[in-house]
Formats: sequence, structure tokens, C-alpha cells
Amino acid sequence: MTAREALTHPWLTVRVQIALGIIFIVAAWPKIVDPPSFAHMIYNYRILPAGLINISALVMPWVELVIGLCLILGVWVKPARWIVAAMLVVFMIAISINLARGNAIDCGCFDTSAANLTYEERIRDMWMVLLRDAGMLLMIAQLAWAERKNRLAA
Amino acid sequence: MRARNPFLQALLLIVLASVIAVVANAFASRTRRLVLPGFYPNALRVPPRVPERVLPTPVAPAQPAPVTQTVTDVGRASARPDVTTTAPVVAPPVVTGTTATATTTSAPPVGRAEARPTLGDDLARFQPHPDKAYVEISGEDAAALYAKGVLFLDARRSAAYEEGHIAGARPFSVWEADVDDKVNALFEERQDPAEQNKPIVIYCTGGACEDSHMLAQKLWGVQFNNVYVYKDGFPDWQKRGGAVRTGATP
Repeated sequence: MTAREALTHPWLTVRVQIALGIIFIVAAWPKIVDPPSFAHMIYNYRILPAGLINISALVMPWVELVIGLCLILGVWVKPARWIVAAMLVVFMIAISINLARGNAIDCGCFDTSAANLTYEERIRDMWMVLLRDAGMLLMIAQLAWAERKNRLAA
Repeated sequence: MRARNPFLQALLLIVLASVIAVVANAFASRTRRLVLPGFYPNALRVPPRVPERVLPTPVAPAQPAPVTQTVTDVGRASARPDVTTTAPVVAPPVVTGTTATATTTSAPPVGRAEARPTLGDDLARFQPHPDKAYVEISGEDAAALYAKGVLFLDARRSAAYEEGHIAGARPFSVWEADVDDKVNALFEERQDPAEQNKPIVIYCTGGACEDSHMLAQKLWGVQFNNVYVYKDGFPDWQKRGGAVRTGATP
């Protein structure tokens, strides 16, 4: 089996899809449980206009949950994958803007409580978040590649 | 599942999530609910700029009662969405010196003098400052104000408040849905201009925490002119050994 065949093998594709789904459901849950804390996190980014903070804090976690379920259940995988990719790109841009500003923030990705970290620790965490999101984008790319290969083969 | 277009499917997923979010929010508990649409005046402008202040109509000095004026300033009016639009507005005090400007001299001196709270010597320096939403104070100042029985407001989340708060402080989490109701209730409670000019101290967790500043903006929006932000907040209070209470009540 070549590397290309291995990377597009259904065995891997199913697991990547389920892993992404679980990640998004795990990320969504604390935000669904405590929307005001997540709104506070969004506020800390200093990007959205004030009027959009609460509506984003309410809707975004549920979008994460719904697309996470879609990926796990294998329902409407393609649109779910697009939404995941779009959200990851938006998150990466938001983090990058704050890195450029030197504004050390908690990303609010998996936890909505403020971490007791120093400025340097927060900045380091933000770089790690960028790397993690880039890794998830690679997972999305794998899913898209496998689907394309299967479509061409069919 | 009949929608074949992935764009349409993606849109449907987002709409579905939005509907669930709104329904879930409607049934959420008081401390977990968000106001739709979320609006925090000057939320992205902390520390605040000083917006133009609506000055009261000039009134004859002999008139004893404070002027009643409709608040028309957008920022200030929007900060108090549930408060009736007609509110007693007291004129800003003469800030410094004996020579007042044309605008400040329009204030009714008699009414203004009556409106001032009777402050003890220790509190004489904590005078109303209508030109700015808040003044940051240190732990010493906070302790001095606390000793004089000044109202303290806790801007942190309710859960943090229940774990421990400055004894006597009221819960006023700026991120929870009922904050405007609480601000309005406080305004009703302090209808008397003399009461409105009494100092109020707001705190959160100190450091980079801006919740207290945001709450101060809200209070300023309903004409509280003597609001102080305890800069170092609750952690500093604990370090100083100040009175702390746990639970949901002050």
C-alpha cells in the first residue's frame, strides 16, 4: 500500500471524521453550559462589535455541536466539513490578530473559565492553539482528499 | 435530508443550530441566560472615552427641585434600555475653582447643593464626577469607603460571588441577563439625587478584569455620577483581610 492509498483509506477517513466530531462536541459543551462566560471570552478578543458578542456566544457552540454530531453520525458530512474548515480559519485569524496586537487572551476553545496564567504563558498557549487548529485543518484536508479520490474511483 | 446542495445543507445546519440556541437560551437559568441581542455600551472601549454629556436646561437658581429632562444622548440612553426615558437629571457640579464655565453655571446651585450627599471628612474627596464614568481607586480607598458603609457591587459572575464576596456587596454580574434589571432597580432605589451622588464601589477580579469598568459605564448611563472601580478587586481585598462572605446573599 502506498502512502497515498494509506492516507485516503476508508479506515483512516472514518476515524479522522469521528475524531473531529468528538473534538467539536467536547469544545461545544462548556460553552453551551455557560454562555455568559463564553461571551466574555469573545469580548476579550476585541474583534466583534459589541452587538454581536452575545448572539455569537449563543449560536457558535450549538453550531459546533450540530456539526460534531453530523461528522460522528456521517450525516451531511460535506457541509459539516465546510463549516468546520470555515470556523477553524476564523479562529486562527482571530488568534493571529490578537497575537499581532500582543493581547494575551484565553482562547476559550475548550474551557470558558479564565486560566490563571502569566502573559508569556498565554502567548505561548495562543501559538499552540494556532498549531492545533492547523492540525485540524489538515484533518479536514484528509477527509476532502479521500472523498475526492473515492468520487473519481467510482 | 433531501437538500442536495452542500451550500444549502450548510445553511440549514447553521439555521438549525441557531434555532436550538435561541430556544435553549429562553429556558436557561438566570445566571446562564444572555440578552439578545447582546449589547454592552462601550464594551469595546474600555477604558472609556468621555462622550458628550447632555446638560440640563438652564434653570433659575431659586428653583429647588432637580430638573427633569429627557435623555437624548445615544450612548447614555442605550445604556439604560429599560429605564423610563424621562429621568431626573442633576446638573454636573462645578468641577474646579470658583470661576465656572458657561455650561456649568447653568446648573442650579441651590438644587445642586441640596443634591450632594452629606459626606464625612474621610469621604470628602470622593465627590461626584459626572464628566467620567468611573474613577479607579486603590485598596486603601476601597477600605475607607467600605468603613463608611458605601455600597459595593460585585461585577463577577454569580458563581464566583457565591464562592466569596466582599461582605455586604451586591451581586451585579455584568455578563448575566438580569444586569439591566438590577441597574434599573438600583436607579429606582436611589431616585433621590442625593442618593445618586453617593459613592458606589464596583469590583471584579482585578488585573485585566474589565467587568467592573463595564458595569460602571452602565451605572453612569443611568446618571450615577460617583462610581469608583476598585482596581485590584477581590483578590486584593482578600489579601488585605477584608470582610468576606459566601453565598448568594450580600
